[in-house]
Amino acid sequence: MLSIASMLIAQAAAPTATPADFWLPSGASNHVAGVDTMFHWINYICYFFFVLVVGMMVVFVWKYRAKEGSKIRLDGLTHHQGLELSWTIIPLLICIGIFFFGFRGFVDLTTPPKNSFDVNVTAFKWGWTFKYPNGAQSDNLVVPAGRPVRLVMRSNDVLHSCYIPAFRVKRDLVPGRFSTLWFQSDVPTGLDESKGYHLFCTEYCGTGHSNMNRKVLVLEQPEFDGWLTKQAAWLDEIPDEELYFKAGPKLYARCQQCHSIDGTAGLGPSWKGIWERVSNPTGSSAFTDGKSYADLIGPGKEYATPEDYIRDSIYNPGKHLVAPYGNVMPTFKGQLNDRGVEAVIGMMKHLDEFDAKGAWTKSVPVATK
Amino acid sequence: MSTVTAPRPHAVDHVDVPDNYLTHSRGFLSWILTLDHKRIGVMYMGAVLVSFFVGGTFALLLRTELLTPGRTIVSADTYNQFFTLHGAIMVFLVIIPSIPAALGNFVLPIMLGAKDVAFPRLNLFSFWLWLAGAGFTLYSLAAGGFDTGWTFYTPYSTTTTTGGVIPVLTGVFILGFSSIFTGLNFIVTVHKLRPPGMTWFRMPLFLWALYSTAIIQVLATPVLAITLCLLIVERLLNIGIFNPSMGGDPVLYQHFFWFYSHPAVYIMIVPAMGIISELIAVHAHRQIFGYRFIAFSSIAIAMFSFLVWGHHMFTSGQSGLMNTIFSLISFSVAIPSAVKTFNWTMTLYKGTISLTAPMMYALAFLFLFTIGGLTGIHLATLNTDVHLHDTYFVVAHFHYVMMGSALIAMIGGLHHWWPKMTGKMYDEKLAIAGCIIIFIGFNLTFFTQFMLGSQGMPRRYYDYQPEFQVYHVISTIGSYIMGIGFLTTAVCFVQSLRSGAPAPANPWGGRSLEWQCTSPPPHDNFKTTPRVGNPYDFSMLQWNPAEKGYDVDPAREAAAFAAEMQGEHARGHV
Repeated sequence: MLSIASMLIAQAAAPTATPADFWLPSGASNHVAGVDTMFHWINYICYFFFVLVVGMMVVFVWKYRAKEGSKIRLDGLTHHQGLELSWTIIPLLICIGIFFFGFRGFVDLTTPPKNSFDVNVTAFKWGWTFKYPNGAQSDNLVVPAGRPVRLVMRSNDVLHSCYIPAFRVKRDLVPGRFSTLWFQSDVPTGLDESKGYHLFCTEYCGTGHSNMNRKVLVLEQPEFDGWLTKQAAWLDEIPDEELYFKAGPKLYARCQQCHSIDGTAGLGPSWKGIWERVSNPTGSSAFTDGKSYADLIGPGKEYATPEDYIRDSIYNPGKHLVAPYGNVMPTFKGQLNDRGVEAVIGMMKHLDEFDAKGAWTKSVPVATK
Repeated sequence: MSTVTAPRPHAVDHVDVPDNYLTHSRGFLSWILTLDHKRIGVMYMGAVLVSFFVGGTFALLLRTELLTPGRTIVSADTYNQFFTLHGAIMVFLVIIPSIPAALGNFVLPIMLGAKDVAFPRLNLFSFWLWLAGAGFTLYSLAAGGFDTGWTFYTPYSTTTTTGGVIPVLTGVFILGFSSIFTGLNFIVTVHKLRPPGMTWFRMPLFLWALYSTAIIQVLATPVLAITLCLLIVERLLNIGIFNPSMGGDPVLYQHFFWFYSHPAVYIMIVPAMGIISELIAVHAHRQIFGYRFIAFSSIAIAMFSFLVWGHHMFTSGQSGLMNTIFSLISFSVAIPSAVKTFNWTMTLYKGTISLTAPMMYALAFLFLFTIGGLTGIHLATLNTDVHLHDTYFVVAHFHYVMMGSALIAMIGGLHHWWPKMTGKMYDEKLAIAGCIIIFIGFNLTFFTQFMLGSQGMPRRYYDYQPEFQVYHVISTIGSYIMGIGFLTTAVCFVQSLRSGAPAPANPWGGRSLEWQCTSPPPHDNFKTTPRVGNPYDFSMLQWNPAEKGYDVDPAREAAAFAAEMQGEHARGHV
């Protein structure tokens, strides 16, 4: 009863996103008011000084332009200590004021409340993984509404930066360090990606930098709880025989920037024919160190089974490099569990059932329905 | 001989000398082995303009690619190489050497009444180093290019597979030494070769600016050299300095890099401010307002420039305390810049303003620098910078300062000293048309990028969200207009070289020493040590109806000089 009442109140007072204006986009977090007010006040100061300087310039140029035959004017001031001191000191005072308010805003921006909800963020070339306390993982950042959220972020490879314009927050992800960022959004979006807020990478990281974007989806707490429970179990809920075509395409979305299915050249080897290569290993050199598949895979070799080889290629991608590719793939250890790896391997085994974008093209067999 | 100036009423006595620095000796070797600062300056200018053409071409390709989201003309990898090349060429090959090495080399010794810089051989060596650095940069393209961004941030720069990274790092390393040697040369020259009577406070403000710049060049550039060395060592020998997977720290690299590259911003803008002081005073024919404040603000900027590098790193993970300190100090740079801007504006007050091409460039500078400087406040303020950092707002801001200010001043200065360098006048109307087209195109291109950035468009993006397209289209159209403007200016200069009227010694009524020798100057600049007066005393100018401009009345000049010699400060306590 109480919860229904509180829900009603929450709905009645449901905050809406601030509207976009000439300068700033629509905003939907606790930081918006502070940053936007500051931005607009600085703008007013800029307008004033711009009009002052350019206005004087235009008036003086017009008024004192040389006309044909006019004599050189000699009545202009050469210096004026009071005037010059005033335009040293007044801008200085204005600047100190702006600094102070900017500093206060920054303290708010970087001090998360104690009761915040933590989400672990991993960035890699070129994507994001968001992990939740109950073990759930997501490709989009899904957060509860009306509750402070703290992102604990790390990078697997190079510098990245997490930027959510609608929340006015940004923070770099530095490999070898954790960094944090916090916000609270009270404006729910639901699970519809087209209504979500943009999340961009703003630290240049190579080929896929500009496509390293995701959506932030804000859910009401009850809806969020439901989503979280479901998300944690999604791989386990799929029956084994359906794993490769139900989970495979979703997981492949993280691989497709570098690995094609149809043989198109990419930053990593195409998956086309991969299962034939590893299950019937030949002796011809295939790796950058001159080794062949037959050198690595088989009973008594480094990998007893082809599945072992695939699994290790996902967890330790730099160990054996297929020629001529470089060591650019990040590890997926901790992001893909055994069941996830099983789904990916299953997809590789049935690659002919998928189209070039990774969508499954067959219908569900009657037996498994 | 076309370069000999026609006798004019105001021309000084060197006018009959048939020999000038261009005709003094002939042949390719006489140029590439020359010790003459003027020839070195002209060669630098040619080299810088060629590099500018290349860097500008990359800019237009970038803008064309950004006309539509997704692929327009090139792939993502090619686009990444293009913006890296655009940035690296414009910063290291164009803007840093453009004013000190090209215009400064030509003008500084003549302004001092000297025959040359203090170390002419070092000067030539510095140009050769520039050529070598440019050569390595060119070679890096053949070696596979590089896609690191001009900032070479680690660990991306040490792990990217493009093959040109080490060649370009070597190139920039060498260019750094070229810059250091020029700075060293200028410091010694200003200290040692000032003529009798030219005290520090009688130096033209362009010299103050070049001197301040030289100090930054000598103190900051070695740090860049060390940083690039460490980067090469890490990439080549896998010694972990910056890469965390080998025990290094990428944020350390950012500190090292910006410790140079922030002062480098002032290597670009301070000499530009010096040029503007000259252009406004000479073409408004008026004593510069507040000479000492302008001179000291150059030095103040040079000093503050070393203490603000951390404002590039507010979101990088440096501590909150550091962010706070760097934010506070960053505001201090705004003050001397504001002082200069107000002083230039006041110099227009009660002047006698000739709207020549150099003056038009100076006014364009004032307009653009005001925008560039004021938008710096958004970025120095901590909480707004978090939203704006690494977006197009930053791109727009630094283009207003680097291009709208530094480069516009350089081109304005080139128009100002062109008659002196080449001995030819140019078509004033065409030059002004070029200036106005560039000005319009520039604002279309970059003002829209402020909106792009504050609306949330990150920089260095090949692909973008469809809602940003309208801004990108306007920006691209602006860049084409700017291209047409530069083409117009190029046509104007080529026309001047081919058929320009011979230039008088002092076409603008300037009072600093370079206007006392012929155009172009003789090999040794001055037969006798020139008379030094107040470089901003324009009281002896008279209207010359034939020239439709102002020139110096010799009688009044002699009288003013005699008065000064008697120990009277003629006007203005300069």
